[in-house]
Amino acid sequence: MDSFQGLLSGFQVALSFEGIMFVLIGVVVGTLIGMMPGLGPISAIAIMIPLTYGMNPAPALVMMAGVYYGAVFGGSTSSILLNAPGISGTVASSFDGYPMAQKGQAGKALAIAAISSFIGGTVSVLLLMLLAPALSSVAISFGPPAYFALMLMGLTAISSLSEGSTTKALISAVTGFMVVTIGIDPQTGTQRFTFGNVNLLDGFDFLIIALGLFAIAEVCMLVLNRKNRSLSDSQKLGSLKLSKADFKEMSGPVSRQSFVGFILGVLPGAGATIASFISYIFEKKLSKNPEEFGKGSIKGLAAPESSNNAATSGAFVPLLSLGIPGSGTTAVMLGAFLVLGVQPGPLLMADRPEIFWGIIASMYIGNVFLLVLNLPLIPYLAKILSIPRPLLISLVITFSLVGVYSISFNVFDLYMLLVFGIIGFLMRIYSFPAPPFILAFILGGMMEQSFRQSMTISNGNFNIFVCSPLPLTLLIIAFLSFSVPGILNWRRNRKNAKV
Amino acid sequence: MIKTMNQRIGLILFLLAAVYLILSYQLPSYPYTAVDADVIPKGLGWFLLVLSFFLYFSKAIETDAEKAKRAIPKKEVLVLASVFGMIFVYILFFELIGFVIMTAIFIFFSSWFLGYEKWKTNLAVSILFPVILYCIFVFALGIVLPKGILPI
Amino acid sequence: MKQLGTLLFICFTAFILVACNSNNAVDSNESANNSNSEDNVNSEDGGKFEPTQSIEVVAPGGAGGGWDTTAREVVKTFGETGIIDSNMAVINKEGGGGAIAWAYIHKKDDSPYNLFVSSPPIMFVPLNGQSDYGHEDFTPLSNMIADYAAFAVNADSEYNDLNELFAAMKEDPESVTVIGASAPGSMDHIQFIRIAKAAGVDVKKVKYVSDQDGGALTSLLNGSVDVYSTGVAETVEQVRAGNIKVLGITAEERLEGDVLSDFPTAIEQGIDETFVNWRGFFGPPNMDQAAIEYYEEKFQELSDSEEFAEIRKKYGWNEMYLNHEEYTQFLDEEKEEIQTLLDEVGLGN
Repeated sequence: MDSFQGLLSGFQVALSFEGIMFVLIGVVVGTLIGMMPGLGPISAIAIMIPLTYGMNPAPALVMMAGVYYGAVFGGSTSSILLNAPGISGTVASSFDGYPMAQKGQAGKALAIAAISSFIGGTVSVLLLMLLAPALSSVAISFGPPAYFALMLMGLTAISSLSEGSTTKALISAVTGFMVVTIGIDPQTGTQRFTFGNVNLLDGFDFLIIALGLFAIAEVCMLVLNRKNRSLSDSQKLGSLKLSKADFKEMSGPVSRQSFVGFILGVLPGAGATIASFISYIFEKKLSKNPEEFGKGSIKGLAAPESSNNAATSGAFVPLLSLGIPGSGTTAVMLGAFLVLGVQPGPLLMADRPEIFWGIIASMYIGNVFLLVLNLPLIPYLAKILSIPRPLLISLVITFSLVGVYSISFNVFDLYMLLVFGIIGFLMRIYSFPAPPFILAFILGGMMEQSFRQSMTISNGNFNIFVCSPLPLTLLIIAFLSFSVPGILNWRRNRKNAKV
Repeated sequence: MIKTMNQRIGLILFLLAAVYLILSYQLPSYPYTAVDADVIPKGLGWFLLVLSFFLYFSKAIETDAEKAKRAIPKKEVLVLASVFGMIFVYILFFELIGFVIMTAIFIFFSSWFLGYEKWKTNLAVSILFPVILYCIFVFALGIVLPKGILPI
Repeated sequence: MKQLGTLLFICFTAFILVACNSNNAVDSNESANNSNSEDNVNSEDGGKFEPTQSIEVVAPGGAGGGWDTTAREVVKTFGETGIIDSNMAVINKEGGGGAIAWAYIHKKDDSPYNLFVSSPPIMFVPLNGQSDYGHEDFTPLSNMIADYAAFAVNADSEYNDLNELFAAMKEDPESVTVIGASAPGSMDHIQFIRIAKAAGVDVKKVKYVSDQDGGALTSLLNGSVDVYSTGVAETVEQVRAGNIKVLGITAEERLEGDVLSDFPTAIEQGIDETFVNWRGFFGPPNMDQAAIEYYEEKFQELSDSEEFAEIRKKYGWNEMYLNHEEYTQFLDEEKEEIQTLLDEVGLGN
C-alpha cells in the first residue's frame, strides 16, 4: 500500500519538531495577514516566498500551505465584524455573519466561523488524502462547455439569493454582469466600455465591488444611525458559548458544504469564492426557514465558512497531483514550489512522497492550530465593535481604502471604490439587493468566456453543450433548480386559490 | 406621469440600458471568433431595457418599511455628502501627502465631525493607527504605501 | 459646528497641499540643479554616476507574477552580492497589462532612480492600442534573461511534429483549436502565429481561444482543444508524466537540461523562425548617458555572477544579456516584425 506508507512518511515530516514549528509559523502569519485589509492568500504567499530561500523544501512548503489556508481562515473576521470582506472568499460569510454581530452575537458568530472553518478544513484534508490521486481526473474533466453549464447553474440561483421583488433582483444581477464586461475582452482583445481609460482595461477587481457595495454602503447606514442608541446591542460581545441547539443547526450545513466546497475547490478556476456562494445558496434552498437567511442565520454563516476552507484544500488536488494551478493563488503557490526546486505535477507523489504527503499531513495539524489559536482571540477581536461608532466609521473607511490600494497601488481604484460605495448605498435605500449583483459579477465573466470559448471550439455549433454528458447533466440541474421552485410555487398558489 | 419611485428608477435604468446598448452596438467587430465581443453586452442591454419597463409598470406598491428606508432627513444627506467629500479629499491627497499624514487627518476630522467628543483619544488613535498600519505594511510585509512628504 | 469641521479639514489639507507643493518644487529644482552640477562635474571626470538615493524597481504586474519574480530576484541578488549598495525596493503597479506602470514611469522623465522590468508585452500592448507608451518611449538598459515558447499537444494526439500539425491546419483550419493564456494579438497567440506563418499556414484562419483563468492546460488534457501555446517551463512536468507532447519550441537551438533537450526546435523541423520571450530592465525616457552606463555595467556584472546563475537555474531561465545599444536594436527589429504579423492577421492598429 503505497499511499499508506507515503502518508506515514508525511506524518513523519509534519510531526517532527521542525514540521510543527513551521506549520505554526505559517498559520499564525497567514491568519494575521488574512485579517489585514485587502490582503488575502495571494499576497500572503507572495510575501512569504522570499523567507523560504535556502530552507528545506518540505518544511518550507508545509509553512507556505499553512500561510494559504491560514489566510482564508483569518479572512472572515472583518467580514463578520465590519461587513468589510478582506478577501473574496469571505463575502458570502458577511451575509449572515454581519447581521449576527449586529444582533450582539459577535462572539458567537466568530466562534461559528472558526469551528465551521475547522471542520471544513479537516474534512477536506481527509478527502484530499483519500482521493487526491483519484480526483485528479475529475479536475481535468471540466472543459469550457462544462464550465459554462456550471456557471449558469450558479446564476439561476439569483432569485433565491434575495427576497422581495424578482424584478429588482434581476436588475441587480444584470447590472453586475454589465460591470464585468468592462475592460479588455479576453477572446478578441476588444476594449469594451473603457472610454480609452487605461485604468479600466483590466476591468474592476472583485474587492473594489465587494468593499464598495458592502463595507462603504454599510458605513453610510452607520452614519445615518450613528445616534441610534438601540443599536448599541452590537457593542456587546455576546456569549462565546454555543448551545447544543446551535451545534445541531450547524452540523447539517457544515457536513454537506465541506464536501461541496472541496469538490468546487478541485475544479480549476472555481475556487473558494464561487464555492462559498454556491454553498450559501445550496443551504438556503434546503432550509425550511429560508427567510432567516440574511438576517443572522447560523446556517447561513456556517455554510460559506466551511465551504471556503474546504475549497482551499480542494485547490491542492490539481496543484499537487497535476501541477495545474487552478487560481491566481495556487499559481503563486506553484511559484513557491518552483523556488524551492520542487515541481508539483503528476510525478510529485512518486518522486517526493515526503513533500506530497507532508503537506497533506501538516494540514490536519494546521487546522487544529488555527482553531486553538483563534478561539481565545475572539473576545479581543470582537472588542473592535465596542469602538465608539464615529471612530469605527472612520477606521472602516480607512481599512477599505488601504485594502483596495494594496491590490493595485492605483488611486483610480480608490475613486471607483467610492463610486461603488455610493451605488451600494443607493441600492440599499431603494431596496435593490446587493448579493445578486456580486454573484453575477463573479459568475458572469467566467460564464461569458467559457460560452464563447466553447462556441469557437465547436465552430459555432450549439451541440457542444448537449452532446457530452457532463455539460448536459449540469444544464439539466440548472434548468430544474430554476424551474422547480417556480412550479411548486404556482401549484401552491393554485391550491390556495382553490381553498 | 412619473409618480412612484419605481417609475423614476425605471426611467433612470432605461437611460442606462440605452447608453450601454448604444456603446455595445459601436464595439468593433473581430472576424475570427464564433461569438463576438458585442453579443453578450447586447443581450444584457436589451434585458435591462425590458426589466426597466417591468419596473416602470410594476404595480407593486412600496411598503411602509421600504418608504421608511429611503426617507432620510435633509440634514443627514448633508452629513453623508460631507463624509463622502472628506473621503474624496483623502483620496485626492493620498499619494501626494502620503498615507500616514492623510490617514491621521482623515480619522481625526471625520470622527470628530461624526460626533466623537473625546479629542485626546481621537488624537491618539488617529496618529497610532496609521503609523502602526504603515509599519506593518512597509516594514513587515514589504508592501509599499505612499510615504508622501515624510522622509520614511 | 460640524460643517465648520469639514471646512476646516478641507482648508487644512489644502494648506498642506500648497505647502508641500512649494516644497516639492523647491526640492525638484534643487535636485535638478544638483544633478546638473553633478553632471557638469561628472562629465569632466568621465561621466560617472553613483546613486545617492534608494532605487525603485517597478514590477508592472501583481505579486507572484513573472515580472514581479524577476524584479524581486534581481533586486535581492544586487543586494546580496553588493553589486549595487544603494537600497533598492520593488513596487508593484498592476493594471492594463502593464500600461498603468508604463504611464507612471513615463512621468519620471530623466530620473535615474526609477527602473522597471519588462518583456514582450511592452510591444504587444501598445500595438493592440492598449497603451500610449511602447518600448521606444523608454530607455532600454539591459536584457537579462530569455525564455522560449513551446507548442504542446495531448499525448494521444495524432500529431507528432510541427509539420504534421501545420499540414493539418493547411488542409482544414477549422479542425485545429489553439489555446493560450493571453488575448488574441498578445504573446501566446502571436508566438504561435509567427511560427505557423513561417510554415506557410494561412494565419487568418488559425482558431485561437484564450483562457485567462488558468484552465488552458486543463482544456488540453481533457481534449477540448488541440494545441497549447505556452512557455517551455510550463510543459516540462506534464511531458515527464507522459500527459502531453511538445511538438516544437521557438529557440534557436535545443535547450540544455533533462527533459528540455528532447524538445525539437522549429528550425530543425525546417521552419526557419524563432521567438524569444525576453526579460530585461528599462529606465524612464530621458535617462542620461552616465546613468545608462552605470546600470549597463551593474546588470552585466549581475548577469555574469555565480549567484544569478543559480537563480536562472532555479527558475529555468536562459541567459541573454544585451547592453543598451544591442537591446535597443533588438527591440526595434522585434517590434517591426510583430507589427507586420499583426497587420497580416488584421489586428494591427
